[in-house]
Amino acid sequence: MTEKREGEFSPKILVFSTNSISDPGIDLAGLLKMHYPPSAYTVSLPCSSGINPDWIIYAFKKGFDGVFIAADGTDCPYRDDCSELTAKIVQEAQTKAQDIGINPARIKMAAICSVCAEPFVNHMKKFSEALIKMGSIKNESGGKDVSS
Amino acid sequence: MKKRIGVYICHCGGNISDYVDVKKVMHSVENEEGVVLAKTTVFACSDSSQKEMVQDILENKLDGMVVASCSPKLHLHTFRSVAERAGINPYEYIQVNIREQDSWAHSDKPEEATEKAIRLVRSGIRRAAQAKPLTPNEISVTNGVAVIGGGAAGMRAAIELADTGLNVYLIEKEHFLGGRISQWGALFESGERGEELVERLYKEIIKRNNIKIWTGAEVESFSGCVGNFDLGIKIHPRFIKTDKGCEKFEEIIKQCPVEVPDEFNFGLTKRKAIYKNYKKAFPEQPAIDIDNCTKCGICEQTCPEVFDFNQKVEKLNLKIGAVILTTGFSPYEPKEGEYGYKNSDTVLSLQQFRRLMELSNGKLVFNNKEIKNIGFIYCVGSRQKGGDNKYCSRFCCTAAIHTSLLLKEKYKDIKTYHLFRDIRTYGKQELLYRDSCKNGDIYLKFDENQPPEVITEGENTIVRIKDLLTEGEEIEINPDLIVLVTGMVPRNNERLEKIFKVPIGRDRFFNEIHPKLRPVETVIDGVFIAGTSQGPKNLTESILSSLSSSAKTYSLLSGGTLQLEPIVAIVNKNACEWCGKCDEVCIYDAIEKKEAEGKTIAYVNEALCKGCGSCIPVCEQRAIELKGYTNKEIMGMIDGIMEEVNG
Amino acid sequence: MFHLEYDVMVVGGGIAGQETSLNLANMGFKVILIEKEPSIGGKMILLSKVFPTLDCASCIATPKMSETMRHENIEVLSYSEVSSIERIDKKFKVKILKKPKFVREDLCTGCQECEANCPVNVEDQFNFGLVGRRAVYIPYSTAIPKTAVIDIDNCILCGACERVCPANAIDFTQEPEYYTLKVKSVVLATGFNLFPARKKPQYGFGMYPNVMDAMEMDRLLSPTRPYNAVIRPLDGKIPENIAYILCTGSRDVSVGNPICSQICCMYSIKQAQLLMGALPLADITIYYIDIRAFGKGFEEFYQQAKDMGVQFIKGKVAKIEEIKESGNLKVRYEDIEGSGGVKEMEHDLVVLSVGMLSNPQITSSFKTEELELDEYFYVKQTDPLINPAKTNLKGIFAAGTATGPKDIPDSILSAGAASAEVAAYIRSLK
Ligand SMILES: Cc1cc2nc3c(=O)[nH]c(=O)nc-3n(C[C@H](O)[C@H](O)[C@H](O)COP(=O)(O)OP(=O)(O)OC[C@H]3O[C@@H](n4cnc5c(N)ncnc54)[C@H](O)[C@@H]3O)c2cc1C
Ligand SMILES: Cc1cc2nc3c(=O)[nH]c(=O)nc-3n(C[C@H](O)[C@H](O)[C@H](O)COP(=O)(O)OP(=O)(O)OC[C@H]3O[C@@H](n4cnc5c(N)ncnc54)[C@H](O)[C@@H]3O)c2cc1C
Repeated sequence: MTEKREGEFSPKILVFSTNSISDPGIDLAGLLKMHYPPSAYTVSLPCSSGINPDWIIYAFKKGFDGVFIAADGTDCPYRDDCSELTAKIVQEAQTKAQDIGINPARIKMAAICSVCAEPFVNHMKKFSEALIKMGSIKNESGGKDVSS
Repeated sequence: MKKRIGVYICHCGGNISDYVDVKKVMHSVENEEGVVLAKTTVFACSDSSQKEMVQDILENKLDGMVVASCSPKLHLHTFRSVAERAGINPYEYIQVNIREQDSWAHSDKPEEATEKAIRLVRSGIRRAAQAKPLTPNEISVTNGVAVIGGGAAGMRAAIELADTGLNVYLIEKEHFLGGRISQWGALFESGERGEELVERLYKEIIKRNNIKIWTGAEVESFSGCVGNFDLGIKIHPRFIKTDKGCEKFEEIIKQCPVEVPDEFNFGLTKRKAIYKNYKKAFPEQPAIDIDNCTKCGICEQTCPEVFDFNQKVEKLNLKIGAVILTTGFSPYEPKEGEYGYKNSDTVLSLQQFRRLMELSNGKLVFNNKEIKNIGFIYCVGSRQKGGDNKYCSRFCCTAAIHTSLLLKEKYKDIKTYHLFRDIRTYGKQELLYRDSCKNGDIYLKFDENQPPEVITEGENTIVRIKDLLTEGEEIEINPDLIVLVTGMVPRNNERLEKIFKVPIGRDRFFNEIHPKLRPVETVIDGVFIAGTSQGPKNLTESILSSLSSSAKTYSLLSGGTLQLEPIVAIVNKNACEWCGKCDEVCIYDAIEKKEAEGKTIAYVNEALCKGCGSCIPVCEQRAIELKGYTNKEIMGMIDGIMEEVNG
Repeated sequence: MFHLEYDVMVVGGGIAGQETSLNLANMGFKVILIEKEPSIGGKMILLSKVFPTLDCASCIATPKMSETMRHENIEVLSYSEVSSIERIDKKFKVKILKKPKFVREDLCTGCQECEANCPVNVEDQFNFGLVGRRAVYIPYSTAIPKTAVIDIDNCILCGACERVCPANAIDFTQEPEYYTLKVKSVVLATGFNLFPARKKPQYGFGMYPNVMDAMEMDRLLSPTRPYNAVIRPLDGKIPENIAYILCTGSRDVSVGNPICSQICCMYSIKQAQLLMGALPLADITIYYIDIRAFGKGFEEFYQQAKDMGVQFIKGKVAKIEEIKESGNLKVRYEDIEGSGGVKEMEHDLVVLSVGMLSNPQITSSFKTEELELDEYFYVKQTDPLINPAKTNLKGIFAAGTATGPKDIPDSILSAGAASAEVAAYIRSLK
């Protein structure tokens, strides 16, 4: 369903994953040969509560069409309130994005557990579809200065 | 910034190179800034390739290294040690995952997979260029291990750990040790009895003065870090002193007027409010089930000195270096109506039937009817196509066949029918299957889409099966009893799972990191898993994993010290204006307020910091970063991915 | 550094022996590992990918081999055999024979110049005869140590290798070396033997070129594979219709091996999945008695193969005959589940899923006492339920397939158990 149709672009997605929970879940998708759009790129961190919102904005400025946070949800080995903290980061980044004319819907977060291969793949497909509808980041005012 | 980086692109013997054009990746990155050398290799992890890397590093005076291969979960340590051997700080090595997250995930689109690989490798190079040398923190470790769950796996691990010189805390939720094996009587493949094995293990345990047992105990809290955890436990009173004996316990139990369903016998019988699971259960003293006790005081009249109704719930905090979870399994309980379960007097689960056999002397009688014909229906609760339990429970074919051999031994004339899908008596267990066939036991095979039908008409029960072994002929049998050969399911242990954050697998059992590389380790350093908590296993297999986990625990703690990941937060003194937000968010008390160079700033206590990074986003000054994940590194990676790919 | 005294001697450098050695070495014990072949690695390093995760075997095995070779507490003696084990007080005196490689391991760089110049061609035992090798050879590309060895029985002493070796590593004057060591404990990790398919003459192995055994197929599918393609041995044709015959030599009283080998169902399903990837057009049929997909993730792996279109026929294969013109094979089987009776199907390649047999050779090394074996000549576990690595001899333990059929995950766990039992035993000596 995410086959590239004529003239359609493949939105670039930056995925922030976590070393011990969601990244293994994403690995599992590969292991099971489940396919998702290859324009999704993962950067793995210890915990999603440590994401600097500035990185998200930076990613848009560099031309990413969407940022997906694969959080640990209740499985986080560091803290119980990880989801709430991560949600706050998402909110902050969304506000910042809106301020500079980027659709806040380009930032998405979901809990991906260490065996959540299928949910991850579904998220990627859906998010990719949604971003296709939103169009390239280059068409948004906030994304305009993407020349560097 | 590093200027002399070596890059290796792994074929992984085809796992990568079948889909990703590794030569193209190499050519696309060899001229990147800072790259001195780029190569492809068939197996980056092979010894010869490792040697070559060491040589390259030394000859070219490399100061950074990138290997694009499999997931860092597999071989990050392998290559970090290569770097170290050649004199590069291990944290200046970057692994890029172009297998699980590229060649395999996008095997349907080789061209795009190649492009992704180029971008990922470039992002790894940028990260390597920014990476700083880091030194692990060395900490001393606590000589103590907690084993949670006192079944066979837990008891065996406790003995082993004690023998290697560690202090062991064995924590069992029930008031008696031994777990499930004490319920089955004679066990395959050796024929030894479960209770006797429990006795053997128990006697070994009490010989060792570095094992402390708590029964009726549960875990309340778990905190700290590998090498030095705090474990909070809560011990429920037994109301009977364990350091005193009494000859008349049996009599006392008889006198108790309260009767409740006996869980140990899966509800087949009743037990008293003062009880033992079975006569020779350990510890020897009975326990009082206070929720059901009416405090009538009859029991206390005999041997009053052993009773103590004033015992209170006790809470303890244990200092430990590691923990092994051996919390076991539950037998699958069929749903009401599943093959007539609970709807009929002639249907039992295998676990109930084994208890019935144990409780019977002389004739085999159930519901006042002597049992002469038994129909076993296999794969109940396992290999479910639609249901939750897709897995095979591995022990049950053999357990059912073994049960049928035990029956033949005891009751010569008994007839058994086995309604199966595949008989999985693997390895030497096959011999039991052969014996059963020789005994004349009858095997009928059904298709997963056409399970047997159980029809009950009053006292009479009929099982209808389309037998694939006789060309799908419809066969009716009329057994006195139907035994559902149930599989294993994870124990209901939600609280414990939450406390330890144990990763749960697709089968809902505890999940190890990798079945071949790290089969008893979890992603939480210092938390090991063993026995049937990991998935279905027979006893030997449970013990194998229990001993493996003891070996790993001992390796972890035997040195007395441990090296902790140096991934900790770091404060930029110039930017910090001390607002205290980082301190507020930190749950590890790692942030301290300090005066330095004339101003108040936040300071990170590296021994306490766990490196989650939660303090980063809350800092309005953006004065905090995480070592190994600095802004420069992350932004460098983003740059590396986003630059255009030519050609 | 070579010593005269070690805590533990591990015999056999397969996955079980390596894992045992590494565990013990990480606990601080000094280990000597004896391997009879020129390289450690055992069967696993020769495999393609491994069930049920489809990890490549090399990806798991090579770093382990490398770590074993390099560990400061492990000394590896390859191409060596244990000639005797004698109990003396609480220790064992062991004699080791190190066979001459006629190549100096300290000088050889593994450049393979010698191979290129050797005029002799013989069957390559590590490729199970699928291809040839030279009289001087490196076992395989992932071998450790990766040094050459001269197979002196087949060498014609022409001296070509000696002339071309840039490292001057060839040394025809090498003699067998004998070492006498003292060890506190011994772990037998001597692995298994493959069932020789020739023992089932009705299946035509060795007679019909297009009947191969599963080990050969695993080699054809592996990254270090001999042809870089899956082809029929007879004519190099790409096979289109492949059959697997499960239980070849297992669960079979007629060959004296009634037990189940417990790996063949799964490795056949694995190979079927790999073949479907390599040859998308091929039909694959697996003839089975029971599918024993019992381990963690195995049943799901089996279902996956079914979903991919692998055909499973419950049938006992009675005979295989070659069709002269095509080299194809007629498989005659008893159709157990279908309409019944004896049926025939034609395939262009047949793979025999051969089972495991025990490898009891080590028993002859025990000079002062007898090592007990079970009915099928595996090392007997005398307390399987509680001390699974224990043998009848105090201080002698066993790991991996030496005690019975096992897959890799179970071999690794049994190695873990053996190391724990050894550690406790050695501590008890003090
Ligand atoms: C009907 C049947 C017949 C069988 N027959 C055989 C046989 O003949 N041969 C054979 O080899 N195997 C047999 N098995 C399998 C065997 O029972 C298991 O392999 C074995 O019991 C596994 O031991 P364990 O220690 O992993 O788990 P368990 O026996 O389940 O022990 C787990 C222990 O942990 C405790 N626990 C659980 N949660 C907590 C908690 N939160 N805190 C503290 N403690 C906790 C439990 O109370 C229990 O004592 C059979 C199984 C069944 C169902
Ligand atoms: C075709 C095939 C495919 C397979 N595929 C899979 C798979 O996909 N997944 C899986 O989990 N398992 C698989 N297996 C099973 C796997 O090969 C075994 O589980 C594993 O190799 C057992 O390891 P081991 O160390 O016990 O024995 P081995 O691999 O046999 O190693 C024993 C070692 O000891 C050495 N040795 C023997 N005797 C002596 C002696 N007297 N002195 C010194 N050294 C000695 C041998 O040379 C060898 O190196 C497969 C097996 C086959 C045959």
